[in-house]
Amino acid sequence: MRNTIIWAVFQKEMRDLFRDHKTWLGTFLIPLVLVPFVFFLMGSSYSSQEQEARAHVPIAVYGSSDLLKQLEAIPGVSFHQPSDPNQALQAGQLRAIVRIPDRFDERLEAGGTAQLHVEYDSTNQKSVYARDVIEERVMAYSKQIAAERLQAAGLSETAIEPIEAVYEQVASEEKRSGGMLAGIIPLMLVVSLASGGIAVANDLIAGERERGTLEALMSAPIPANQLLTAKLLTVMIMSCTSATASLVSLTLILHFGPIASQGFALSLFTPVTLLVLILTLLLLAAFFAGLELMLSMKAKSVKEGQTYMSAVIFLAMIPSYMLMPIHPVDIPQHYYMIPVFNGVSLAKEVFYGKIDPMHGVIGLGTSLLYVVLIIAWTARLFRREGVVVKP
Amino acid sequence: MIEVRKVSKTFGAFTALEDVSFRVEAGEVYGLLGENGAGKTTMMRMMATILKPTEGEIEVAGYSVRIEPDEVRRRIGILFGGDVGLYSRLTARENIAYFGSMYGMEKQAIGERIERLSQMFEMGAFLDRRVGPFSRGMKQKVAIARTLVHDPDVILLDEPTTGLDVTAANIFRRVIGRLQEEGKTILFSSHNMGEIDKLCKRIALIHKGRLQFAGALEQLRAQYGKEDLDELFMTVVEGSGR
Ligand SMILES: Nc1ncnc2c1ncn2[C@@H]1O[C@H](COP(=O)(O)OP(=O)(O)OP(=O)(O)O)[C@@H](O)[C@H]1O
Ligand SMILES: [Mg+2]
Repeated sequence: MRNTIIWAVFQKEMRDLFRDHKTWLGTFLIPLVLVPFVFFLMGSSYSSQEQEARAHVPIAVYGSSDLLKQLEAIPGVSFHQPSDPNQALQAGQLRAIVRIPDRFDERLEAGGTAQLHVEYDSTNQKSVYARDVIEERVMAYSKQIAAERLQAAGLSETAIEPIEAVYEQVASEEKRSGGMLAGIIPLMLVVSLASGGIAVANDLIAGERERGTLEALMSAPIPANQLLTAKLLTVMIMSCTSATASLVSLTLILHFGPIASQGFALSLFTPVTLLVLILTLLLLAAFFAGLELMLSMKAKSVKEGQTYMSAVIFLAMIPSYMLMPIHPVDIPQHYYMIPVFNGVSLAKEVFYGKIDPMHGVIGLGTSLLYVVLIIAWTARLFRREGVVVKP
Repeated sequence: MIEVRKVSKTFGAFTALEDVSFRVEAGEVYGLLGENGAGKTTMMRMMATILKPTEGEIEVAGYSVRIEPDEVRRRIGILFGGDVGLYSRLTARENIAYFGSMYGMEKQAIGERIERLSQMFEMGAFLDRRVGPFSRGMKQKVAIARTLVHDPDVILLDEPTTGLDVTAANIFRRVIGRLQEEGKTILFSSHNMGEIDKLCKRIALIHKGRLQFAGALEQLRAQYGKEDLDELFMTVVEGSGR
């Protein structure tokens, strides 16, 4: 009897939902289509900007020197003589202006130092790129002259370069791809977990109350918490569907999209981290579902419910954004005890490929506690008189 | 049988019902009469255990709504007034069956019951269509069938004929007659004296939350010496001094 009621309600809610194409579009298709779309736009505009910066490097050079040969060798470079070079630089028609003073080569030959002026626009990424390649060439030329001078003095180049530092990075391939993913994926997952359930949660209580079906239902001999359980499951299913849809589209994007990924693969996960991730996400889904149902109950109308629901999305976004730039080792301990923060923090650790067991226990434990609290509170509200009738 | 004893209901500072008592006998069709805002729906909600009386006691089929609400719920079927609540994306059959399962009925029993109700209310033509685009009358039929799916002993009908056309209202009255033959206890609310007169012998008349009269319609007529129903109603209401 007990389970048949939950099952009957759940079945009915799912059937009702399946026939509601608008809600499906919202929870399933939108992340599946919109996420790649946004990424694609971001990625392609980014890479096309970069390509453009490399392909054409229009600069103006004033004065003459042997240095010019070096600058000519820059790939994509072209030389221009606009009437107002500074204005052309501001407008982006020129990427840089190189001013070689008089007697530049003479000074160098005499063994002295000669100054070179390079003007660029630091607010323009393409101009910054031009500055970088010019600097590279000038350094190389400068080094070449230095080597000649040393040789003339009977010294080798090593005489002025006593230390040669070699930098190697130690993060594994997984860790590096994780680093990037650990920023974006928890944000996407948490926000879609929160947003996936809001339409349904609002409809399942505020909507049913407004239509009068909740009142009819509650005059039947069914325990309120069984009705609530079935509704909670329904909301969780929608949340998880939406999160899965985002994850699937993200995975596709990282494989085929314009943003190069260093091989996001399932090898990132071990059975333990995968389990922790799944538990974390399920607990987050249950927490959001409970919270959304409670707000749906508190709302006086469907409209008011919608307003409350947008607050839930904010609640989900704040920790995700706050934690996005933070490396897991820098996450403060107490974050593992704050609702939603704990889930996001754990998800980050998973994507970095290493979970601190203590964090795992505290994060999952407190998550479970918050789920129990929010559901108990919601159930108590539900039993309160008047929640089911239209005011 | 329904017994209402000295019941009051307040919402915050507002008193919706005050010291109301009346008794509906088993197998009787009883009328609950009152103008808009009189407190009819509030009274029915308390009988259906959706709201709790602030003071007093209500017993339905021998069970207290306070102490054993689940026993009460098992024995009643309630049709709420106004816009009836149905799931618009479910078919008429699915709507009725869902409520059947809420009362713990088996699939087969639900199926058989729906066939009977469908005949009773002439719903065969639209039983397997989604209720969203149904007319008011069609929806009302589905809602009543849903109310009766578990064959309750006590039936509460809150303004069930509001918005129905003459034909639909007639079908509805025939159904009430049949339910009475089956021995059901029926409480029927309305703001229309003529409507009540067609179906009920005894009534309770509420005005602004206070009981003005409870007993046989005949007695009311004799008491005020008026035959015309609307006139009778107005006299009672004006005499209340509220
Ligand atoms: N949940 C509630 N909270 C506050 N006031 C309420 C609530 N329910 C009803 N009331 C008030 O109680 C009074 C009685 O309402 P009720 O709906 O019982 O009247 P009614 O006789 O059914 O009227 P109608 O014929 O319009 O359906 C009204 O003034 C109404 O505003
Ligand atoms: Mg009413």
